[in-house]
Amino acid sequence: MDPRFDDADEAFRREVAGWLVRELGGEFAELVDAGGPGREHEHVEARKAWERRLGRDGWIGLGWPEADGGRGLSWQRQVIFHEEYARAGAPGRVGHIGEQLLGPTLLMFGTPGQKAHFLPGILDGTQLWCQGYSEPGAGSDLAAVSTRAELRADGWHVDGQKVWTSLATEADRCFVLARTEPGSTRHRGLSYLLVPMRQPGVDVRPIVQLTGTSEFNEVFFDDARAPAEDVVGAPGEGWKVAMGTLAVERGVSTFGQQMGFAREFERVLAAARAGGAADDPVIADRLLDSWMQLQVLRHTAVMTLGAPAGSTPGTEANVAKLMWAPWHRRLGELAVDVLGAAGTVTAGPEVDELTPAQRLYLFTRADTIYGGSDEVQRTVIAQRMLGLPRGPA
Amino acid sequence: MDALFGDEQRDLQRTVRDLLTREDPGPAVWQRLCGELGLTGITVGERHGGAGATTVELGIVLAELGRALTPVPFLQTAVAATVLDRSDAPPAAEVLPALVAGGLVAGLATPAPPTRWPTGSGPALTGVLDNVVDGPHLDLLLTPAVVDGAAVLVAVRTDAPGVTRTTLPTLDRSRPQARFALRGAPAVEIGDAASASRATDLLLAAVAVESAGAARFCLDTTLAHLRTREQFGRPLGTFQALQHRCADLAVLVESAWATARHAMWAADADPAGAAVSAPLAKAYCADAFRTVAGEMIQLHGGIGFTWEHPAHRYFKRATSTDLLFGGRAWVRSVVAERAGLPAVR
Repeated sequence: MDPRFDDADEAFRREVAGWLVRELGGEFAELVDAGGPGREHEHVEARKAWERRLGRDGWIGLGWPEADGGRGLSWQRQVIFHEEYARAGAPGRVGHIGEQLLGPTLLMFGTPGQKAHFLPGILDGTQLWCQGYSEPGAGSDLAAVSTRAELRADGWHVDGQKVWTSLATEADRCFVLARTEPGSTRHRGLSYLLVPMRQPGVDVRPIVQLTGTSEFNEVFFDDARAPAEDVVGAPGEGWKVAMGTLAVERGVSTFGQQMGFAREFERVLAAARAGGAADDPVIADRLLDSWMQLQVLRHTAVMTLGAPAGSTPGTEANVAKLMWAPWHRRLGELAVDVLGAAGTVTAGPEVDELTPAQRLYLFTRADTIYGGSDEVQRTVIAQRMLGLPRGPA
Repeated sequence: MDALFGDEQRDLQRTVRDLLTREDPGPAVWQRLCGELGLTGITVGERHGGAGATTVELGIVLAELGRALTPVPFLQTAVAATVLDRSDAPPAAEVLPALVAGGLVAGLATPAPPTRWPTGSGPALTGVLDNVVDGPHLDLLLTPAVVDGAAVLVAVRTDAPGVTRTTLPTLDRSRPQARFALRGAPAVEIGDAASASRATDLLLAAVAVESAGAARFCLDTTLAHLRTREQFGRPLGTFQALQHRCADLAVLVESAWATARHAMWAADADPAGAAVSAPLAKAYCADAFRTVAGEMIQLHGGIGFTWEHPAHRYFKRATSTDLLFGGRAWVRSVVAERAGLPAVR
């Protein structure tokens, strides 16, 4: 029983589950459990086709207003969609950056013309986006962005380098935080630009990670162009828009993520049972801790993310991240520990031929770094949620 | 404190907090909690003179009592009243009006594996119930027992012949304990094995939510200290080493509250789920409370080590919370068993 949903919601759940079973039982069967963090290289073309199928059948933009092409569904129904999506093992999305980051930003800050131009391609799954925030010199300190853009008669000219850009090889466009006022510093003088990826001035180079795979990329802009009107918010106000993007992520996808975590935990548990590690009291205790903490994650998400917008300090996402990232990393450790010596043998001789347990073990080292490292989350929580004073700069 | 609360729940929280911060802890508070506000009967049906609320509202009151560390036998009495009300056994009608009015103090034996339950034949019970929380105050003791080979939930009057009560000196002076030796003590059956299990689960959930309230107080008090106490020419709270520790404590406090409030919700609304969420909440919240209370001492520095400062009282309450009510190892083994996970002991 679940306090979040009523009977009509549960009927919607059956509709979602039925659609997923049907679609994943046919031409998309190979996509079950494909993609996602650590596995972005898998079945990319098929996953793009899957995006278009999601779009065709109305499963993108569930929470967007109907006037903007969305379905205007409640928070509860969006959660249900994400939960069922994860429960079915549906593939890691390639369109989520457009749907969950850029789309809500345009809904909040975009002009009617920008919404009309960009939202339909997100909703039908044909236009993929990537995020151009981090730079070699601007990681945790995002305001140190130095990519520059200049507005000339023929539009924006962009020069600089972004890094850790997920899915940049597949994306059609990138939302770029760039310095548009020469001589400006920190949060001032930045603009939020929508830059086409398929042009001579854009060069994407995959980063080979410690997993041996490449989900992240470097993106080089060398006199890349964007139309003059493709700036979201006023020029120079890009920081406000970028922060708005982070704030709109109220976390409906969190519950889907937790459903995915539960599936991963079940696999680790099954491996522990199969190999006999579950009989070891130390391993059994760690399994119990992991399972308990997963329930706690869920209860915390229900309480904080279910609250009406504006009723909480706005730091729920920071608390959630600081809980799930270390949890997931510990699950990765447990995944190889339950295998013992066998956990050190890979699936093949190539560097990227990892077992699922090894992939989880290695990729979760990124969880506590990307999207605001644990250390950044702690500082945000201490200062914004707990009201502790900033120290000397 | 909780964005999901409605206006009535927020009012309840404010009323209890005001009372507990205004009154000196003592008999007067107990009288006002019971008689004036009727809170021992908050979950009791109106037909028995109660307020007819759910266990969620009881959780709100318990969190405030945990926050103030008020030394009254409220948790035990309110849990026992809820158990009696939900059991609807004949003794309920007899004792509930007195429980609601505060004229009778009741409580549950501290949870233990069935091998340590008292046993008996017919109405006469034999066994030892140790570390019974609020034992010195109890007029009525509820305990699981094995009677004629069957697990049941029974009630024993503590003034009955065959009951010997020994008050135990306690490390946590806000939570008195007694040992009850039963030798053919008269017992009244009030429920079956399932009721006994539910009663224990409610006690665990109640202890969890009380801990969550207390842990939040520890963090709030610590933050106030760090904002004002200056060393090296600036407030301690500006040091990143301390900020990051407080952030970790805040995560513990928020997640403990969420876990405990879910367990209190499930106690009435989802009995099947409560079988897992109650022991889980107790294990998690007691652990979180112990961590936060320990950090409260450390982050206060020397003043936190004095008898005069309240930190030690919370630290000792956290310790008793963790070690009592079945203890950490037992409650974790219950979670593992009920969740179908590998046995941890």
